[in-house]
Amino acid sequence: MWFIIPVLGLILGVYLGSAVTFQLPAIYLKYMSIAVLASLDSVFGGIRSIMEEKFDGTILLTGFFTNALLAALLTYLGDRLGVDLYYAAVFAFGVRLFQNLAAIRHHFLTRLRNKRQVKQGESNE
Amino acid sequence: MRKTIMPLLIICLFAGFFLAYQFKIQSKSTSFDAISQRNNNLITIIQDLEKEIANQENQIEAMRTQLNELQSQNNQGKLQEYQTTLTRAKIEAGLTPVIGKGLTITLDDNKEGLKDNPTDDPNKYIIHYEHILNLVNELKIGSAEAIAINGQRLITTSEIRCVGNVILVNMTRIAPPFEIKAIGSPKLMNESILMGQLGTLKDANFPITIVESDELVIPAYKGDLQFTYTAQQ
Repeated sequence: MWFIIPVLGLILGVYLGSAVTFQLPAIYLKYMSIAVLASLDSVFGGIRSIMEEKFDGTILLTGFFTNALLAALLTYLGDRLGVDLYYAAVFAFGVRLFQNLAAIRHHFLTRLRNKRQVKQGESNE
Repeated sequence: MRKTIMPLLIICLFAGFFLAYQFKIQSKSTSFDAISQRNNNLITIIQDLEKEIANQENQIEAMRTQLNELQSQNNQGKLQEYQTTLTRAKIEAGLTPVIGKGLTITLDDNKEGLKDNPTDDPNKYIIHYEHILNLVNELKIGSAEAIAINGQRLITTSEIRCVGNVILVNMTRIAPPFEIKAIGSPKLMNESILMGQLGTLKDANFPITIVESDELVIPAYKGDLQFTYTAQQ
């Protein structure tokens, strides 16, 4: 039941987020949504890598920060250039979210099937 | 296992925080427009202050009439002499409504000209505070004794200052069309302004009218006189 701890972390984060009363200036709203997507992407990526049994904490953390930074940079550049490059980040994160979710589902299903086959094999013997 | 949990915990913390915070912002921002909200605040503040000014001007006027009554009650001996100097001083200071020969000049932005040349710089077709200031100065050169702009009597401390798209006179905002009344020699004043600013404006096709009248009434200064730093030598 080790995965309870990250879930607790999620709940703590939600609590902190709703407790903060700091008013964000309107221009930074875009960056905020990028941050949301980046962190969600990292969460799903982490779950996926656990499923695939190639989890690496350093890769996860650095991935999160560099992705978020790159996305923020794109958003800033887009603001400067008058091109909504910010959508590129939203799109990329969105696609990755779906891919990660699909991978998680695949692994989950194959594991479930394998277990059943093993059980059936046992009962057949 | 610990190596797995710590990074995941951190990421989850971030995710939860950002999610909740973004959710909070979004639910709040439906009717949230920072700039218009601030403008609305400023507008209400200005309106409140203007009301307050009007109230206080009424108060000042009431007190002045009271003072006048008190002064007219004792009309004996040397007081008479003081009274005449006082009235004289008041007229000179602009504290009483005055009547006399003079000019009424009305001028407005050149809206027709702007319509005909929409691509031109709109600033060229607007009456600026410098125009008013020059005009007033030229009227003074032309022997004007009492001047009022849109009902604001000019006194020694009166300012003519640009604030955004309106002009400030006696701390009151005035907007076009401008009506400048001046008591003095109509002939001299006419010459002075037509040689100067008004002539320029006329050449630029600004809508201008000059009316000469024998009984021009100019209102009193409605504000408060504060001479905090000045004393008689």
